[in-house]
Order: sequence, then structure tokens, then C-alpha cells
Amino acid sequence: MNEIKLLSGNSHPVLATLVANRLGIEIAKTMSLNYSNQETSVSIGESVRDEDVFILQSTSPGDINDGLMELLIMIHTAGCNHVITMDLHASQIQGFFNVPVDNLYAEPSVLRWIRENLSGEDIVIVSPDAGGAKRATSIADRLDRGFALIHKERPRPNVVGRMVLVGDVVGKVAILVDDMADTCGTLAKAATTVKENGAREVIAIVTHGILSGDAINILNNSCLSQIVVTNTVPLGNKEKLCKKLRVIDVSPTLAEAIRRTHNGESVSFLFNHAPT
Amino acid sequence: MVRNIVILGGNSHPALTENICNILGLPVSNRILTKFSVGETRCEIKDSVRGKDVFIIQSGGGSVNDHLMELCIMISACKTGSAKRVTAVLPLFPYSRQPDLPYNKAGAPLSKPPTEVPKDKYTFESVPATPAPGIDKTPSFNKDTDMSRMMSRTSLTNGAGHGLVNGLSRTNSENVVDPTPAPARPGLTTLQTQSFTTHDLQNPALINTFQAKPGYKRWVAQAGTLVADLLTCAGADHVVALDLHDPQYQGFFDIPMDNLYGRPLLQRYIQQNIPDFKEAVIVSPDAGGAKRATAIADSLGMEFALIHKERRPTRITDRQNATMMLVGNVANRVCILIDDLVDTANTITRAAKLLRKERATTVYALITHGVFSGDAIQRINLSAIDKIVVTNSVPQDQHRRLCPKLDVLDVSPIFAEAIRRIHHGESISVLFQYD
Repeated sequence: MNEIKLLSGNSHPVLATLVANRLGIEIAKTMSLNYSNQETSVSIGESVRDEDVFILQSTSPGDINDGLMELLIMIHTAGCNHVITMDLHASQIQGFFNVPVDNLYAEPSVLRWIRENLSGEDIVIVSPDAGGAKRATSIADRLDRGFALIHKERPRPNVVGRMVLVGDVVGKVAILVDDMADTCGTLAKAATTVKENGAREVIAIVTHGILSGDAINILNNSCLSQIVVTNTVPLGNKEKLCKKLRVIDVSPTLAEAIRRTHNGESVSFLFNHAPT
Repeated sequence: MVRNIVILGGNSHPALTENICNILGLPVSNRILTKFSVGETRCEIKDSVRGKDVFIIQSGGGSVNDHLMELCIMISACKTGSAKRVTAVLPLFPYSRQPDLPYNKAGAPLSKPPTEVPKDKYTFESVPATPAPGIDKTPSFNKDTDMSRMMSRTSLTNGAGHGLVNGLSRTNSENVVDPTPAPARPGLTTLQTQSFTTHDLQNPALINTFQAKPGYKRWVAQAGTLVADLLTCAGADHVVALDLHDPQYQGFFDIPMDNLYGRPLLQRYIQQNIPDFKEAVIVSPDAGGAKRATAIADSLGMEFALIHKERRPTRITDRQNATMMLVGNVANRVCILIDDLVDTANTITRAAKLLRKERATTVYALITHGVFSGDAIQRINLSAIDKIVVTNSVPQDQHRRLCPKLDVLDVSPIFAEAIRRIHHGESISVLFQYD
């Protein structure tokens, strides 16, 4: 009684499996499917009564609403007491919930990746927009490296206007840091801007690699040498289509957060440390 | 002419929105309702709604989930934009009808015990006590439940999985059905639960292979109250629906909820378009709809018959086949089937076949909501139904092109009148009195 039950939606079974393996448990038996009238149906195949239920659902590009309804129906059978998420686009969103929200950070995992892969380089952290400045400066501080910022104009959603770089990147390896890459128009333009300002190499590190629409093409044709994303969003065969893509596995962080939440331990340890 | 009122329409049924607005003599308000490239719904209301009485018309057909999210976001947007009152108008209420178990070609879902695991081999505590890396997997699971192993074998394309649902592969050959690939939902790559329809007769293997843990009877999550909660939570002050499958559903709302009736339309159709309708028989295709059908029969002074779906096993060999029994006499009579919703048209076509067998001369089907999903239209074209009549609570243009037997009744006057009365604070119970 009162054990962890991990339910997985349709959006990201790969991540669910990684988390389940890490926790040493089975994914609970559920089946979700769409009726021919396109309504979502969820069948529960094992008892969840009095258990500590964790439902893992990411956003799969293109099927957001179906995924969301699936999650809502799954939650509806039990009621939601706690939300665990990673790198919320706006941390204020935490305040909109009536239940506790743990916003985990991909930052420790990102820092480790930088230390392991770019240790000898003269790097500078670049934020592709003003909104991400805080996230980027935090990484720059932790690495004790320089920081630059790009100011951009955005006339319409999914369209990017003119860009201005503030800061010095000459001769350095510039790391663009952002929380989300969707169509990658911003990233590609930012990379070009940084390159034009004299950076030797441009790498992008993005927590959520949605990479929808024409993203893969844009990335392949951009002057970015590497794009690093975490596996919070299913990537499918994108790794094959884009040779520049590198993936950081965040399932240890999620699994540890689940374990700690279940056992009533503090989660804040994970804000600064990435379990291996 | 009504003032201080804003009518917005979702993407589900623009034609109905336009009809309603024409009747009310109002323009449809401007809004942008598209999707971001990632697939999230994007909504912009172009007209001011401050202090206005807002009505949002969104039906439940097509991509139900997209439409539901659109509706919630529009409601929320209007509420945030200081609308005085937001009324959600749902000609077809989404998730109002869900079966307890996924539809099974073999008929009634039987909860027979799984054959793979002997009954004495499981315990109720079948999960490791303390989750920790490297701990042994539960012994009662066979190798095939190991997800990572299973993943290495299963392709990520739709329907091509070998009857694998949630890690259980079907081994007993009597139930193996040819795994013809199901029509894929574009852009979906899933693993243990591929996208397939429960009504997909070509590929029932996937549904059949899903089995609950031993000793546990699986159940399907019911989304009904969830939709009610979502609408309320988004900020709807009032909900208007048409011919709810369950009238009790009204009680799940904490806000006023008006359930309009399509009955007057159907009744008028019978009176005007069916010759000698007094001699015809009203037939309910299942026991659940008997009340709806008798109401029409009573008010028109017609006879009534009922089709009863026998779920009990008749013989051992075909015990999974639900048989249908007709209660009442239809020989040499015109039959009028009455129901609230036709989805896959399985029930209605089987009912028509039975009526024909019982020597009915002509079979009409009068149904409020014509969802016609899957291969419903083809099935109706081939069926014994002579005429099928539905309302335009969901878009019917395409269905009408494909089905020469289909007649469509316009529900926009009912909604227009309801909107007008709600706006003016008049009683709408007049709309319920049509005798």
C-alpha cells in the first residue's frame, strides 16, 4: 500500500520508461486511446486506490490538446495534489496553482554537460532574448564566465524581427541558452547575429526541444555547430535528421524528484545538483 | 435586434454560428483562432467584450480535444477581458457519452480472467516494496512486460505493433486477429498505446490485448464531470446544450445549464414528411432511449416498439454475440427509429436490419446528433435504413455529399431563440413546450 505508481501518457513513453527503470518499478497498466469520434478514453488496468500516483506526460508537438485531455482524464480519476515540472517558461506560473508546484531546473544537468564537453574553451553565455537573461546569467555566474544578451523585436508569434547583440563575444565559443526551442527561428537568427559579431563557434543549449515545423531544416542550415536539448520532449527520429543535435537525459532528476516527493524529502537539493 | 451582445464561434462549426447570427441579426465577432506551430491553441479576440454578454458557440464533433481546448481558452480570454457574462453554447456536448468499456466487435465486454498467469501465482502486493535502482522486477510479470526490451522490438509507427498494448503480447492464437495497420492519426508516434479507434473493426487485436493486472477489473475513466469542471473553471457562467445523452448530466454543473430539445424538430419532420405517420411505429433502438422515443410516440399518438439488446449468452459457441430482440409488432408498417446520437452507426444499422427482418416496409432513422465517425456513412449506405434524418449540431455538409439517404434539419433557430431569451432574461421553458 501507498507505493509509487507511475502512469504514462501517450506523449513520451521513452522518458517514462527511463524514469521507471531508474526507480526500479513498472509503469502502471493503463491504456489510452482515441475513439473514432476522436474523444479520448483512458482505461485503468490496476488499482490506484490509496497509492501515490505520478502521471508523466510531456507535450508531443502537434498533439498538445490530445495529450492534455489525456492527462486531465487520468488526473480526474484521482485528483491532482502536486505538480512537478521542469524549467517553466515563466516561473510565475507556479503561483497560479492551488497545489504545490515543484519547478525543477535543467540547469545542473546543463552545467555538467558544459563542464564535461567544453571545459578548455573560452566560452561566453548568450541569452537570445531579454526574458531569458536571468537563466543565462545564472549559468554564466556558476561557470564564472562572461555574458552577452541579444535584444530582438518580435512583430508576430513564431516570427522574429531584427536583432542587436549587447556584450563581447569576439573569438569566443558562444553558448546560446534558452528554455524552449520551437521553430528555431529565434535560435538560428541569434546564432547568425552572434557569429557576425565575431564569435568563433556558436552552440545552443535548450531545455525543451520541441523542434516543430521546419525546425530541423533551419537548424541544419544554421551556423550553430551543436544543439543540445534535454529529453523532456519526445525527439523521435530528429537525432538522425539533425547531426548537430545532442541530448541530455534528465530522467535521473525526474526520478529523484518522484522518489523524494514520495518519501517526503526535500526537493530543493535537485535545484543545484543533478543526480547521475 | 439585441444589443450589448457578442457572439463568438469556435472552429468546429462556423456555418452554424453564422446561421444563428443571421437569425439574431448580428455580426459574428472577430477572433483569431489558430494553432502555434507546436500545436498549442492560439486565441485572440479582436472585438471588445468588456461588459458584454458573450455567447461562444462550439460543437463537439471533429477534433474534439482541440475544440474543447479552444472553447476553454476563449471562455477564459473573454472572462479575463471583463466580459459581463460568458455563455458556452455546445450543440453537441463533448464526452457526454462514453461506454464503460471500449467497444468490442465480439459484443458485450466480458471480464474473463486472464489466461496467461495462473491464479495462484500472483499476490496482491505485486510491486517491489521500496523502489530502488537495480531491484528485481515483480516475479509475476513475464519478460514481455519489460518496457525497454519491448521497445527494442516495437516500431514506432502507428498500428504496426504486433498487438502489443502496455507490454502484453497476445500469445493464445485463438484471439489473434490480422494486425492490419489502423488508419494513423498524423504526427503521432506512440509506443505502448498506439492510436487506434475502439470502433476500428480491422484492428481489434490491440484493444483485446490490453489486460488488467490479475485480480483487478479494469475500468474506463469517465470524462463527463471533467468537462463540466473544465468549463466552469475556465469561467463559463452558463452552459447551453442540445439533447444531452444523460439529462442527469445537468446536475454535474454548479452553474446554470440549459438542455434544449431537438424533439420538436424531429416531431415536425415526422408530421410533415412521413405520409400517414399515424400508422407508423416509433422504435427505440435500445432500452436507454426508450423514454425519448415514447415521448414522441405519445405526443403524436403513435404506436411504439423497442429493441432490446440481449447481453446474456445464448449458446456457448456464440456467447460473445449480443443478440437483438424486438418487442412490439412492426410487420407491414413504416418504422421510425429515434435516438439521440449516431456515431459509428452500429446500433442503428443493426436495428434497421432487424426491423426489415420483422417485415417493416420502410425504415426511417431520426437522430439528433449525427457524428458519423469511422465508416458510419458507408455502413448506413449499405444498410436497410431508407432515410436518415439528423440535425446540423455538427457539420453535415460532407456527410450529405457521401450519403444520399441523409436529410439535415437546421437547429440554428432553436439556439438563436435560446440565446435571445437568455440575453433578455426571458424564460426559455417555452422552448420545451411544443405540443
